This record gives sequence, structure tokens and C-alpha cells, in this order.
Amino acid sequence: MSSTPVWLRWTWVVPAAFLTVFLVYPLVVLVATVTSGAGVSLIDPLLAPTIWQVTALATVQALVSTALAVVVGLPLANVVSRYRFRGRAVAQALVTVPFVLPTVVVALAFRSLLGSGVPQGFVLVVLAHAYVNLAVVARIVGAQWVQHSGDYESVARTLGASRWRAFVDVTLPSLRSAIASSAAVVFVFSFTSLGIVLLLGDPTTRTLESQILRQTSVLLDFPGAAATALVQLVIVTAVLLGGAVAARRSPARRLQPVGLRPLPSRLGARTAVLLTAIAAFVIVLAPVAALVAASLRGGSGWTLSWWASLGSIDAGTTRLGSPLQAVLTSLGYAGLTAAVAAVIGGLAAIAVIAPGRARAVGLLALVPLGVSAATLGLGILLAFGRPPWDLRATGLLIPIAHSLVAVPLVVAVVAPGLRSTDTRLMSVASTLGAHATRAFWTAYGPVLRVVIVGSAALAGAVSLGEFGAATFLGRAAGPTVPVQIVRLLGRPGEQSLGVAAALAVVLVLLTLVLVLIVDRLGATPSTRRSGTA
Amino acid sequence: MHVRSSAVLVTGLVIATLLSACGGSGDEEVPSAGPSTVRLLAHDSFVVSEDLVAQLLDDTGVTLEIVSGSDAGTMVAGAVLAAGNPTADVMFGVDNTLVSRALEADVFKPYTSPELDWVLPALRDDTSAGMVTPIDYGDVCINVADSVLADAGVPAPTTLDDLVDPTYRDMLVVEDPGTSSPGLAFMLATIARYGDGWQEYWAALRDNGVSVAASWTDAYFGEFAGGGDGDRALVVSYATSPPAEIVYAEDPKPEAPSTSSMTDGCYRQVEYAGVLAGAANPTGAQQVIDWLLSESVQADVPLSMFVFPAREGTPLPQVFTDFAGSVDDALQLPPDEVAANLSTWLTDWGTVMGR
Repeated sequence: MSSTPVWLRWTWVVPAAFLTVFLVYPLVVLVATVTSGAGVSLIDPLLAPTIWQVTALATVQALVSTALAVVVGLPLANVVSRYRFRGRAVAQALVTVPFVLPTVVVALAFRSLLGSGVPQGFVLVVLAHAYVNLAVVARIVGAQWVQHSGDYESVARTLGASRWRAFVDVTLPSLRSAIASSAAVVFVFSFTSLGIVLLLGDPTTRTLESQILRQTSVLLDFPGAAATALVQLVIVTAVLLGGAVAARRSPARRLQPVGLRPLPSRLGARTAVLLTAIAAFVIVLAPVAALVAASLRGGSGWTLSWWASLGSIDAGTTRLGSPLQAVLTSLGYAGLTAAVAAVIGGLAAIAVIAPGRARAVGLLALVPLGVSAATLGLGILLAFGRPPWDLRATGLLIPIAHSLVAVPLVVAVVAPGLRSTDTRLMSVASTLGAHATRAFWTAYGPVLRVVIVGSAALAGAVSLGEFGAATFLGRAAGPTVPVQIVRLLGRPGEQSLGVAAALAVVLVLLTLVLVLIVDRLGATPSTRRSGTA
Repeated sequence: MHVRSSAVLVTGLVIATLLSACGGSGDEEVPSAGPSTVRLLAHDSFVVSEDLVAQLLDDTGVTLEIVSGSDAGTMVAGAVLAAGNPTADVMFGVDNTLVSRALEADVFKPYTSPELDWVLPALRDDTSAGMVTPIDYGDVCINVADSVLADAGVPAPTTLDDLVDPTYRDMLVVEDPGTSSPGLAFMLATIARYGDGWQEYWAALRDNGVSVAASWTDAYFGEFAGGGDGDRALVVSYATSPPAEIVYAEDPKPEAPSTSSMTDGCYRQVEYAGVLAGAANPTGAQQVIDWLLSESVQADVPLSMFVFPAREGTPLPQVFTDFAGSVDDALQLPPDEVAANLSTWLTDWGTVMGR
């Protein structure tokens, strides 16, 4: 990269500053507060056996969850991101839905679907983790697969390789960086899972995160919580770095956006693609259908009263505000998060491909995934929730917290796309006399646009569905939709259940619309044309 | 130089997001805490009629800003860490299982409200030497899905002892005391009742097929037959859950709830409010505590939060007098005993239950 533009060396400054102010500083404040007492030791809790037993349990659980998510997610990514068929855009957006549903809603939907057929415990937790993380695999791998022309497979097939052999020897290696990135992210989400583990798990599915919550909120054992959080941070960082290294070692396959392809003409292959698409619809929609049913079921048969009371429930109290207001609040946070995370995460991803130390910053942008949500929430509260830096009234704390969660996802989506871009285009452009910056945009511009818009959708979705930070940092007057859902589910009565289900359906629809719009904006000219065909 | 440029960039970013936030939604333009604004830190279940908030402003000039502290445990954890430089002026919702941890950390500044004279005698002295003020109380009780038991031809249980009887095998769902506030209260009830024998009681519950859910929501809506799709006839919930079943039912409301609460073995949770040490507006914080104990707010408490008012003689809504469990001899443990032993008890409970 002799013709690298100069600014490329400095893109790391913005994400580094953001992470320093909103991640490192709050954690430093928190650690300083926790360790200020006399005789506080972080060593003793590290010597207790529980922490290491939980680590082992969570590792096994996360490995199985990740394997399942990748195995189911790959065919999904193939179908919804590569082929042109009626309903493709909706299918692609639908895949994102499980990711945004509050875990308490996923848990209730799983229970009503599976009944007591699958007992609470390891299997149920793994199924639920795979379900909510399908979007991560489908989005990250899909973003790379769509650029895959299939020419090499054709060559391999012409040379006598079987279809399977061509897939294993040619297709998989070219997707390796995306698969590694997404697997690392899914592992981290499953390893640090809280809501699903609490609601669907048993003692064999404990995570460090659930230990941290108990130590913080029940025992108020802050040194113990800090030690557990530290172990989690170290393990998660190691996994993410490992994923990044594996991603970088992938062969330098030359990829360019090629757009959507028609369905295969051979009947068998065509059926396989369509069956996968249908399976995707069924898998994603079954729990959603259970929610729709719950929103229409009353004490005496079917009813519309839960939907009708969306506008009036708890009117005149400080509890809910109007649902319309909650929708606007959620959308506002989602928009801010999408913008901030796309800018910060995009620059961090560019830093990953830039030469020199910048790469380290790009990788460090993945670290927030490993910081326990409870830890981060407390840290931000202590650092920015009181004088001298009281940002509560600005309403910024929630989008900032959401951005910290979303930035690593953006990096995970954008970096593989950039890494596999054909850098020869840049050389050609430079040779033809283009300015370094111009050459950069010639080579990377189209890819950047697709992946950044796509990851902004994912970031917005994270914000729409996020519960922990929103309840922790929020003000009672302006709750988000997930916070309203969980509050409703915290009190008895069929109305509570029915209106919560209706709000969850609203959340699903919001997500679908948001993702559809953003996907449309991000479509390359070629895919957009074929998308409307 | 790097530092300076990052600082400039961050400032720019913050200003940009700030501007877009202000343009985005109208409810964000709340002034920062001035002398007439009081920040009330409350858990997620806190709710009060807006009329009463308006009345507070009319009567005292205090603008109430409610900041959410998640669940009570997480809220207290945040308050303990921020002790001395708090994130609000007054805190509501610290209960008798958590209050001693807050007191140890010097979270509160003493205040004795003139309204305290009106509080029920049983609660009036319960102020931890003037640090906190009791606002309401509730009882965590076993709830019964009556029709399910009737269909099975089984009488409703009346005592904690009944729950280990094989008649009620596989019928009870409780919440994990490590993750759920009513779950913790129920464990404390068994300790208060059985003393050193509490672990044997739990072993008997375990052998009788008790199910342990992580949260109240999961237990009540997921496993309890009286709340949702579940098939268990008994659940750990509140004495006020049956009236809530009526209030939050579809119109026309049923004449009686399908659930009732068992009045033996209930654990009493008392919720307190206190002025936070280092509050920016301590005078306003005191006014808010007086307001929380006022006749009108206390009368609003039952149907807003489904708890009982601390103020003596406060009229209760009819749905409460008709259907709420009337508990005469609720169980309680001294807060300092709970604080000293909680960690051990939870570990012991986990050992007995294999969790």
C-alpha cells in the first residue's frame, strides 16, 4: 500500500477518543470507587473455585451455541443475501428480528411454543442463543457472501470437483474471515449472556455475567463483582483477538460486489434455496406468531382490547407515558445509536486495515463486548450521572451506552468486507494518476457504503431492543419500548400480558421497517435494481 | 498533540449529538437540577398519578424529576457506590432486606418528617435512627389458582407446612432468591419460620417437586396456572396479586379473581424513602418525603403500586378490602441480621437446591 492516503493513518483517533471517554474513564472511576475502601482485595475472589467453575461451564455452553448459530446461519446467509426472489428483502429484515426482542419476551415465546417438551436448562439456552444470534451470522457472513461471484466454484466444478468439495475447498475459505468474525461475536454474546441464562437456564448454564449481577445487586459484594468482571473482560478480549487473527489469515481472495443472482435453474438447487428461505421464515416467525396470538387472546376468547388499550393504559400516571411517545423515544435513540456507531465503528474498521499501530485501536474497539453491562452501566452512572459531569438531563447516556454495545458489531461487519476488497483497484487508480484519497474511494467506496449502512441497521436494532442500559440510565418519564414491555410483565393480570405482547409486536414491526429502509439505502445499484425485479 | 485533537473531536461529537438529541424529541428539554427541582431516584415499579406530581408543584414549588434506578437491588448498589456525591436528591424503594447495606455506606442524611406521626405504630419506630422513612409495605405470600385445585379435588394449602405435603407434589413454583426480590423474601420467610431447620424445609420442598424460576415474570406468567399458560397451581407472589388480577383484567371486569393468597408464612417487605447525603437540594428532598407520606399520595399508593400505605387510617379501595390477603402475623427478620448472613444463606440455599 505505497499510496495509502495520509488521513488513513489517523482514522483511529476518533474511535480511540470515544472509547477513552465513554468506556475507559467510567471503568476507571468505578474501579477507583470500589477499591477505595480499606483492605479491599481483588485477589481473594480470584482464588475462589466458583469463578473458574462458571468460566468452564460458560465456555462449553458458548461453544455449542456458536456452532449451532453458524450451522443454521450459513445457509440463511447464502439464501437471503445472494439470491433474487420475491420477499427476499423482507426475509433479510426478518432475520434481524430475534436479535432485538427483549430476552424476557424471547423466553416467554419459547416457553409457550415448546411448553414443557424442552425442560429448562442447557438445551433450551443453546437453542435460544442460536435463535437470537442468527442475525449476527447471517448479516456478517452475508455481507461478504454477496460479493462472491462464484466463478472459482465454476472453475473447480469444471475441473471435476463435486459440489460439496467446491463448497468446502473454495467457498468456505473465501468466507473464512467473515465466519471467524461472526463466530467470535456469537461466542462472546453467548458467553456473556444474562437474560436468557436467567430465564431459561439452570445451574449448568451460569455465566460470569449472571454472577456479576448477583454480586452487584443482591450481595453488594463489589470487589467480588470487579474480580469476576475482570476475568470476563480478559477472556472475551482474548477470543475477539483470536477471531480477528483468524480473520486476517484468510487467503486474499479478490472480491467485488456482484449483486444478486437469479434462483438456480436446476430444480434440486432451486428447491433447496426456496426451502431454506421458507425454513428461515418459519424459524423466525414461530415465536413472533406466539406473540401475536398472546396479544389477541383475552380471558373469554379473542379480543382486540389489548391493542385498543395501547393508547390509554396507565394514562395519568408517571409510569408509562403514551406508547406513541415510547416509540418515538426508542426511534430517537436508535437513530442516534445507528449514526454514532456507524461513524465510530466504521472509522475503527478502517483503522483495522490501515498500517501500523492504528490496527490495535481497531481491535480494541471490539472490547466493549466483554465489559459486563452491569459494570458499564454503574461506571457510566458514576462518571456521567452526577456532578461535575451530569449528562442525564441531555438524554445522551442511553444512546452512548447503546453505541458502545453496537460499535464492536459494526467493526465485525465492516472489517471483513474491507479486508477482502480488491486492493489492486487502488493501485490501478493510483497508476492512472488518481490522488491517494480518490484511489482509496475507488477501491473501497462501494464496499464501505454497503457494509456501513448494513451495520448501522444492526446498531439501530441493538438500540431498539436493548433493555439493561435503558432501564439503568433512563428517566421514568421517557421509557423505551423494551422497558415498557418488561415493566408491564412485572405485574399480574391478563391486561399486563396482553398489552406487553402487543407492544412486543410493535417492536418487531418497528425493527422490520427500520431494517428494510436502511437495507434499501445501503443496496448497491446492482442489487437495488435486481431487488425490484 | 494527539490528546488535544482527540479532545476537540470528542467535544465536536458531543455537541453534534446533543444538538440532534434536542431536535429529536421534545421530552428531553428538562432543566438540570435547580433549587426548585428535586430528583427522585426510584426503582422501576415506582408509579404515582400525574395529578399528585402537579399538586406537589402547586403546593411547594417543587418540580419532581423521577430517575429510574432499575430494580431495587441495582438501584441501591448504585446509591452505595455514589454515596456522598449522589445521582439524585432523594431515594424511594430501598426495602428492609437492603436498607442496612445502604446505612453502612452512609448513603442517607437524617430526616424526620412531621408526617411520621401518622404512620402505623408498627412501622413508626422503624426508621434506622431517623435515617429513613417508611412509605409503604407489602406481603410476599403463596398465591393459589383456586379453580385448578378445585378441579383436582384438592383443598387450598393454609400453612407453609402444607407445601411439603405430597398432596401438593409438583404444584409449587418459587423464584430464585439470588435473582428475584419475592424469591428472596420467601427464603427469608422460611428462615424466620423454621430457624435452623430452614434448609431441611427446602430439602423437603425440593423432594416434593418445587420448580425454581429466575424471575417473578417467568414464574407467574410462564409456570403459574393462574397467571398465564403454566400448569402449576401455587406460586410465590404478593398478597395484592389477586386484586391486581381484577384491576388488570379485560372489561367487563370479573366479579372475583381466579386466584387467592395464602395468609400464613408471608414475609413483610417495608419500603423506605430517605434524603441522600450530599443532595444538591436537601430541602426539596425533605418536601418530597413529606409529600410521599401525605394523605393524597398514600391513598394513591394501593392502586398505583399494589402495596399497602404506611399512613394509618388511609382508606383502601374496595378491590383491596375484598380480595387482598389480610395478613395479621407477617414474618420479618431484623435488617442487620439479613445483611450479615445473606451471602451464606444464598450459598446454603444453592447447595440444598443443587443450584
